[in-house]
Amino acid sequence: MVTFIQFVITGLRLGSVYALIALGYTMVYGIIKLINFAHGDFIMVGGYSLFFLIPVFMGLGLPGWLAVVPACIICACVGMLVELLAYRPVRKKGNKLTSLITAIAMSFVLENLAQAIPAIGPDPKIPYTLFGATISIGGVSVSSATIITIVVSAVIMVALYLFTQKSRIGRAMRCVSEDKEAAILMGVNVNHTIIITFGIGAGLAAVAALMYIAQYPKVFTTMGATLGIYAFVAAVLGGIGSLPGAMLGGLLIGMVQSLTNTYISSSMSDTFVYLVLIVVLLIRPAGVLGKNVGEKV
Amino acid sequence: MKKRIISMILMLTMAVGMTACGSSGSGSESTETETTEETDAASEAEGDFVGTITLGMIGPMTGSLAVYGTHVSNGVLMAVDEINAAGGVMLSDGAYELAVSSKDDQGDSTECLNAMNALIADGIELVIGSATSGCTSSITSVANSEGVVLITPSGTADALTTEMDYVFRACFKDSFQGELAAQYAADEGYTKVGIVYCSADTYSAGLRDSFSAACETLGIEVVAEESVATMTEVDYTNQFNKMVSAGAELVFVPFYYDVTGPYLVPQARSAGFDGVLLGADGVDNTETTISEGTDLSVYNDFLFVNHYSTELATSDVSVSFVENYEATYGDTPNNFDALGYDCVLILAQAMESCGACDAESVQAALADTSVTYEVATGTFSFDETGTPIKTGVLMGYEYNEGDEEVTKIAVKTLSVE
Repeated sequence: MVTFIQFVITGLRLGSVYALIALGYTMVYGIIKLINFAHGDFIMVGGYSLFFLIPVFMGLGLPGWLAVVPACIICACVGMLVELLAYRPVRKKGNKLTSLITAIAMSFVLENLAQAIPAIGPDPKIPYTLFGATISIGGVSVSSATIITIVVSAVIMVALYLFTQKSRIGRAMRCVSEDKEAAILMGVNVNHTIIITFGIGAGLAAVAALMYIAQYPKVFTTMGATLGIYAFVAAVLGGIGSLPGAMLGGLLIGMVQSLTNTYISSSMSDTFVYLVLIVVLLIRPAGVLGKNVGEKV
Repeated sequence: MKKRIISMILMLTMAVGMTACGSSGSGSESTETETTEETDAASEAEGDFVGTITLGMIGPMTGSLAVYGTHVSNGVLMAVDEINAAGGVMLSDGAYELAVSSKDDQGDSTECLNAMNALIADGIELVIGSATSGCTSSITSVANSEGVVLITPSGTADALTTEMDYVFRACFKDSFQGELAAQYAADEGYTKVGIVYCSADTYSAGLRDSFSAACETLGIEVVAEESVATMTEVDYTNQFNKMVSAGAELVFVPFYYDVTGPYLVPQARSAGFDGVLLGADGVDNTETTISEGTDLSVYNDFLFVNHYSTELATSDVSVSFVENYEATYGDTPNNFDALGYDCVLILAQAMESCGACDAESVQAALADTSVTYEVATGTFSFDETGTPIKTGVLMGYEYNEGDEEVTKIAVKTLSVE
């Protein structure tokens, strides 16, 4: 029983981080039907921002996690810049495939740019550990970072859902997502909406980075690559474009990894993640919570 | 539908491509050549050198394991400076100056092979490298087929050196290291041990094999054994949950410092494992990867088998090495400094004994198992495969509540009974 609970908790711990990242993927996809491969690297930007900002905040006597506010702003700016400088011009001239290639290119650009900054360089950095306490209940130990991650992911998901349903900008986002041309006719500023989406998506990456480094305290320039892939799989599994789907997909992947580790073989967790993805896509091609509307990439 | 399938395949290829690039540490290739300057004093005292012998050096100067490469390089450069200052290497036709051509492999096997090929293309016949077993294993076959002497300072995997070949090392090998670890467990009276390792890595899997074989011989029961998929795995919680439920008193963890510091040790403790964590030489330098804000007491009872400790090595060469190192770099040397230093000393001694610097003669000189090398990490001869016959040391980490720091301690010298 203890093993089982422990496995659930480890699954939640991994899954909640994937879920947070997957939210960013799914938002951007929902609006412009672009798989933003650079999203994983926004996590890296967030990770480094936090690495440098947390000691500054602690030095000022403020709680370290508050550093996530400026980190969010930095990430949002990077996200908007990427949209402005790379995606928008390409989207105007090319098709979906050129956008996709641009996204992959941007991912490498961000990684290599980061490496070129002397303060970052190619060597990994070890950030300050926040929420390091471990809580033990009846033989089951949970790190407080795990609980905070799960809570934060849930709150953000609900907030995002309400934002897209109720707010003016949120409604504009859904308009653009459903029919770009019609949205323009209705007076929605499409470019404006898209750039805000990128800002929010990338800002979320900073929150994900905070939760990630609280549990796995190491930042390096390529950290976003693997994380990004897992989150992307999570988004597809849950139904890309759907916010609750991303959350569900993330948790599902965390659970599958943890389950394989605990009960099958720890070196096969990735095999099972992709196996589950394939099986789900065969049964429900649009993902668990996805709506099958037209063509998907 | 067809369109969807094609795009799905495309997506997958891209996804695979991205992971591959991620693990390689992405490619900023830095290949610098450092030539040590001959000191004026040396040339005045000994007259001019007849020529220059360039040694190749490959190691992870950047990337996750950069500590290894930079320290090997420190040791190598210091040894070269010392030898040049003392008049260079005396060959049959006069004194030669030593120089180093250094290449970065970023801890990546492919980069390592590229670096080796570049050195060979430059006509270099004596190469020191690389720091990890994984990288070194990618260049041993080239060394043998091209006839280039390769001496690895710290590649411990058994299969790296074989009888009658061009590959040598300055460190002990994994099977011996695993035996030392098991011997320690037996000495301390542990009867139930666990192993967490990476089955896909030469170093980790090799150590696991020798450790569990030695445990069997010594009558220690391996109660649980868990593997992770890669050496860069971030979560070890489930593995340690199993160790706890299996009742392991000691867990053998053959990993590198880049995961033990931030991930493995804190997670093992948080999963409720409070016994001894025993690592191997890869654990050295864990102090550089400890995250501030972690409960530092988790690093207590974290021990590792190592090549050498400045506190336990007392020969003249060892003492003068430490003094000179501290004077040069203002810091205490570690394993990799000492092993890099030793590589140069071993090569220099072999060159002087055969009076030549071509790979074939040096290989023959190194293959002579009767020669004794008195170097910084101890005094030893090579066995038939080109691996030193030496002892190891047990080191560990200890948390001092007073100054709130984790310090490295030397426990004792280890040898197999």
